[in-house]
Amino acid sequence: MGMLEGKVIVVTGSGRGIGRGVAELAAEEGAKVVVNDAGVAVDGSGSDRAPADEVVEAIRSRGGTAVANCDSVASMAGGESIIQTALDSFGRLDCLINVAGILRDRMIFNMTEQEWDDVIAVHLKGHFACTKAAAVVMRQQRYGRIINFSSISGLWGNAGQANYGTAKSGTAGFTRVVARDLGRYGVTCNCIVPRALTRMTSDLPKGPSQERVVGRGIEAWPPDHVAPMTCYLATDQAWNINGQVFLVYGGTVALLAHPLPQRTIFKQGMWTADELIEMVPPMMEGIANPAPPPEDIDVPGRPKS
Amino acid sequence: MADLLKGRNAVVTGAGRGIGRGIAIALATEGANVVVNDPGVAADGSGFDKSPADEVVEAIRSQGGTAISNYDSVVSVEGGENIIKTCVDSFGRIDILVNNAGILRDRMIFNMSEEEWDAVIAVHLKGHFACTKPAAVLMRQQRYGRIVNFSSISGLRGNTGQANYGAAKAGVAGFTRVVARDLGRNGVTCNAIAPSATTRMTATVPEAAAAIRAQSGVAQPRLATAGPVERTPEHIAPMVVYLCTDHAWNINGQIFHVGGGTISLAAAEMPVHSITKRGKWTLEELAQIVPTELVYDIANPAPPPADLDLPGRPAKPKE
Repeated sequence: MGMLEGKVIVVTGSGRGIGRGVAELAAEEGAKVVVNDAGVAVDGSGSDRAPADEVVEAIRSRGGTAVANCDSVASMAGGESIIQTALDSFGRLDCLINVAGILRDRMIFNMTEQEWDDVIAVHLKGHFACTKAAAVVMRQQRYGRIINFSSISGLWGNAGQANYGTAKSGTAGFTRVVARDLGRYGVTCNCIVPRALTRMTSDLPKGPSQERVVGRGIEAWPPDHVAPMTCYLATDQAWNINGQVFLVYGGTVALLAHPLPQRTIFKQGMWTADELIEMVPPMMEGIANPAPPPEDIDVPGRPKS
Repeated sequence: MADLLKGRNAVVTGAGRGIGRGIAIALATEGANVVVNDPGVAADGSGFDKSPADEVVEAIRSQGGTAISNYDSVVSVEGGENIIKTCVDSFGRIDILVNNAGILRDRMIFNMSEEEWDAVIAVHLKGHFACTKPAAVLMRQQRYGRIVNFSSISGLRGNTGQANYGAAKAGVAGFTRVVARDLGRNGVTCNAIAPSATTRMTATVPEAAAAIRAQSGVAQPRLATAGPVERTPEHIAPMVVYLCTDHAWNINGQIFHVGGGTISLAAAEMPVHSITKRGKWTLEELAQIVPTELVYDIANPAPPPADLDLPGRPAKPKE
């Protein structure tokens, strides 16, 4: 207990689900928490102060310290205001946890510009807006923790989520760069890839679709089980963990590989296409097409059965 | 050879210079009809100039190939639609889309302006979407297509001063994996290249900045100028050509690192180490087990200097 005693922590999107679990555990461990949530629907519409206020009330009723903030992360002004709330309420900022996010699922050939823009805005602009403001403070004080949120939708791929998968793979890349920009100043930046049953995942198809695997088994993983590893990364003990991506669900925490070269073919000079026709297939041994074309369409190049 | 892409119709964005130019010429050499798209901007995205695209079209025609210029920016839905429409209007259909267009606006995160963030995200991410969405509609209808996107080691491993670019280029990898699953059943493949080459874009990273990064112990991705191995922009094209051929019909949703004579399949972002218990972890348990079982063989890519007072870091014993 008390492993975050005295730490000032901002948790965006903490009015419900995973974010709520993080805010509540942080407060239990002694942190002073800014509970940020604009109180929107899963698709980003509407607004409501109640989710953030409820979490603050719950924390206080257990003897913890928290304040609410209802700004949207999706603008520079919003991000600055959220960080300023921590400074105004508690005098400093030790940790920023970027949980806020929305969904606007659609297959790529049907996806509208609005669906693309909205999801990129909340996840990517949101991460930037809050992190930039926090980074200035953390660099000055030579201490900080930034924890971002990614998803297997982007890291592994999930059909119908070109916007979300892009944004969430983007936050992992953002994590790797920010870790390198800030590490020398005593700041760490890491990323959580959660799997849990929340408002955001409750609609996912749970059937045998090969391309939409995200929902499989998700009923077994409660949102509050994502909080411990998230909060651990905020502790002093985690001072040297930086630039890493962790998959977290149920009672499991896994360090994920970065998408670096794994199998390599080499020649001195320029490859020709004929050489690649010969050399690439052995390099791809055992790597499956995640969405293979069915037998009944004509695929030039596919051997006839 | 020289007719691997005969009859195919291709769009290459950002094809006026560098890697894109190399790809456009290589596709045309293999018989494809090519839309050479480039608004002719500077590496930071400013300005406009028709001549880069026009020169590449001229180079292709002078070797007997077929090509046409397009100067739209990929940054808008209208621009993307128009680029794809140029291919359909000129050549009758689109078979291949290569999303190569991109810009740089480097800045450390604590100094990065909103404009620097927005501009880079727009060209790389909105650009990939704006071109891919209309192409996807057509490729799905015709039950055939090849989409090749451009990622970067900047986002896949990490580099300093490129939070915008790293986010965008890692984002492209995620986009690739999802689009591959959205379209694969329609006979379309979608893959990505993370290139290393000496181009106008990599030349903008000043030697001084690279030296500062190295000196402060910040881990570096492999630089295009490093070592004796030649990494020209033209070295990227062969793998792109290959992915567009019929031979590559079953390669889908993959990321390839390509530089000089080296081509690598990127690792999937799968668990390297994992810990599991019944129920919910406590912070005390994690503090005990994470260092020894989860992160024991990874290094901090930007370790804090010894003279910085760090809560939690064991104090060095006095000399």
